[in-house]
Amino acid sequence: MADLASGLLLDWRRRWRLRKQPPGPLCDYLSRPFPSPRTDYREVEYVAVDLETTGLNARRDQILSIGWVVLSGTRIDLSTASHRLVRVQGDIPAESAVIHQITDDVAATGTDLAAALPEFLCALSGRVMIAHHAHVERCFLGAACKQLFGGGLLVPTVDTQAIARRILERRQVAFKASDLRLHALGERYNLPRYGAHNALSDALAAAELFLAEAAYRDNGRGMPLGDFL
Amino acid sequence: MDVELIEIRDFLASHAPFEFLPEETLDVLPKKLAVRYLRRGTAFPPRDDEQPSLYLLRRGAVDLRDAEGNLVGKLAEGDICPSVCHPDDPRMQMAGQTSEDTLAYLLPCAELQRLRERHPEFAEHFDDSVSKRLRKALESIKQDSEGTTALMTVQVRDLLARDLVSAAPDTSIQEAAGIMSRAGCSSLVILDGERLAGIVTDRDLRNRCLAAGVSPTEPVSRIMTEKLETIGAGTLGFQALITMTRLNVHHLPVLDGGNVMGMLSTSDLVRVQSANSIYLVGDVRRAENTETLAAISGKVSELQVQLVASGATADQIGQAVSAVTDAITLRLLQLAEAELGPPPVPYCWMAGGSQARREQSSHSDQDNALLIADHMKPEDDAYFAALARKVNDGLHACGYIYCPGDVMASNPKWRQPLRIWTKYFNTWTKKPEPMALMLSSVFFDLRAIHDPEGLFDELQERVLKLSKADRIFIAYMAANALKHRPPLGFFRKFVLIHGGDHDQTFDIKHRGVVPIVDLARVYALSAGLSQTNTLERLKAAAAEGALSKDGGANLVDAAEFIGTLRMRHQAQQLKRGQKADNFLSPDDLSPLERGHLKDAFSLINTMQESLGQRYQAGRFT
Repeated sequence: MADLASGLLLDWRRRWRLRKQPPGPLCDYLSRPFPSPRTDYREVEYVAVDLETTGLNARRDQILSIGWVVLSGTRIDLSTASHRLVRVQGDIPAESAVIHQITDDVAATGTDLAAALPEFLCALSGRVMIAHHAHVERCFLGAACKQLFGGGLLVPTVDTQAIARRILERRQVAFKASDLRLHALGERYNLPRYGAHNALSDALAAAELFLAEAAYRDNGRGMPLGDFL
Repeated sequence: MDVELIEIRDFLASHAPFEFLPEETLDVLPKKLAVRYLRRGTAFPPRDDEQPSLYLLRRGAVDLRDAEGNLVGKLAEGDICPSVCHPDDPRMQMAGQTSEDTLAYLLPCAELQRLRERHPEFAEHFDDSVSKRLRKALESIKQDSEGTTALMTVQVRDLLARDLVSAAPDTSIQEAAGIMSRAGCSSLVILDGERLAGIVTDRDLRNRCLAAGVSPTEPVSRIMTEKLETIGAGTLGFQALITMTRLNVHHLPVLDGGNVMGMLSTSDLVRVQSANSIYLVGDVRRAENTETLAAISGKVSELQVQLVASGATADQIGQAVSAVTDAITLRLLQLAEAELGPPPVPYCWMAGGSQARREQSSHSDQDNALLIADHMKPEDDAYFAALARKVNDGLHACGYIYCPGDVMASNPKWRQPLRIWTKYFNTWTKKPEPMALMLSSVFFDLRAIHDPEGLFDELQERVLKLSKADRIFIAYMAANALKHRPPLGFFRKFVLIHGGDHDQTFDIKHRGVVPIVDLARVYALSAGLSQTNTLERLKAAAAEGALSKDGGANLVDAAEFIGTLRMRHQAQQLKRGQKADNFLSPDDLSPLERGHLKDAFSLINTMQESLGQRYQAGRFT
């Protein structure tokens, strides 16, 4: 029930923050209540998200792209699939460009974070965020919100990697860190493997992984959202 | 479009029926989809969708079952389930459960409807019946072979090089020769009024007039050939070639309605295509020994490859290859008689199995037997034993290997007078034991290859009378015809068999060709038909009402489609210098071919079920 308590606490904090937040995208975002952790997870809407960044340090590094897709309960709605390239300040470090294949030229075609982030917040409003190893997304999105709107990001979050770790630990099987990667887990659940490595395909892969994990935990009678948070 | 959904777009683009959609429609289609994950063991299609949708499997598998719970098919990656969108269409209904964890794309029915309205080719996939789809596939494989040559498509009327050159029967031989010489042709049609009376060729002038010392003032009717095979003006060039090869003639009068239109000669055909099978047959006729025959027969696989490349169907190839085998058999008999002397009593050389059905592909085993006149004496058998040995050995040397079941004329059991043969058939029909049923595919497909005294007709008449009247026998044959079932379909790299087993490869002969051959035999015997060729049997049986018109037409299409895939498979192997076999790997088939094959299987299955019900075949298995 700790999850339930913290979930309820989260919405209380949202209301408290809403009173202090000046009008703007973050205020609009906070104005919609979070889904109650008591709700059946199949009745909740989610946004699966993935970020590409210039590095792993949210204070120093920048967001390069945001990909997201909305889930209505246990259906991924591909009409909502979105991908935004973000123009960055300064050069993209070569070592990160190797991973995400976003070069300075490509990034230059993107939009400002000030335009991309509100769009994402609008999609996220009233929904639960899904991410794989959500810590990165929470830190970078939080830092971006703080920088642009003067307040951090409060959001109920499902971390598909944390769920996978809990499942493996509960089954008392030995596993390596690499077993918890998005693609390794996708294989375990018979999910398609996307060749392109970008924010949207990873967001989609995380969304599919969530459906798979939920299907394996749900005995057919549903579960409270709180069990996934 | 977001570049990131390209993978989903590409997935759609590589699977029927979405592959029929234009690029710009495919580009925006991923955005119309939803995604669901169904754990193994989930009922499929799920009944909890707020929005009715078509399902497309991206990952995973589904077992489809009928109302009794029998496995009737499987779905895997790329397969669709349109049930929910067509609740009133029984053909579209499928139900079962996921047999693996499954990720599916959902296309809302309303969106599907919109696509169907705008894209006819996409719509056909849903609108057409199984048989209509197969017919279209057959038409397209006939059309799209690389070098579709004229012989496959041109009618005989368009091949005739000249107008009709004719003379009346009372014309003198000399005058007839003059007409031929002025027209520069090697044959002359003799017309009695409008009626075809006969033909005269250069050879007749030489052999029947000059060499025989007949006076040139005599009427031409004295030396003309009267008993004539003719050919319709609408016949395809290829069919004419087969007929000429089979009859071993170089001229055929062409009839248009009742009227003689002209004379088709082999040179008319050769102008269009180097007519290999007729050349081969000509070479066979001149061959003086087995070695030469073996060398000629070595070219048969080349013939098969060429015919496939020029777009011939399985039936056409079977006819051509069998015509060559017939010619080789005949020549071996002539050579044997030349060595052994004339036979003591008349005999008939019979071929069984695929040669009898005119369905041989390059080199089949030999199946043959001897029918000898009833007045043979016991000591006469030595002659026929020697004759049979020579021909069997000769055929073996030519690549028609000895029959593994020893169904050959050299086996004394299959070298018998008419009365013994009649007794055999009597026993087989009255006591249809497993052995008899095994032999049925040989002996109920029987054709006379060499029969100067016409012994065969009498045997055939007796057999057909026996079998037609005997309902129990037909029921046994029907049960036997259900032994080879076509696969249910394909599942990934596997072939799905009744009972749920998988196979890596698929024996297209035993699981595709043989079931139809067996069905056609039962229909033909039950109606007392003398045809041996499977397509001819099916057409004649449908005309007689032994099976429905639709059923007959569907089986003809299925036979042509499956047979043609088989011939192509073998031609590819022969081209690579490999031995031709009957094993297809599902990997070698395009998604479209798999779909059409599945349609063909389902048609065969339907006909087998209905035959089984008609004769309650289950009681005899």
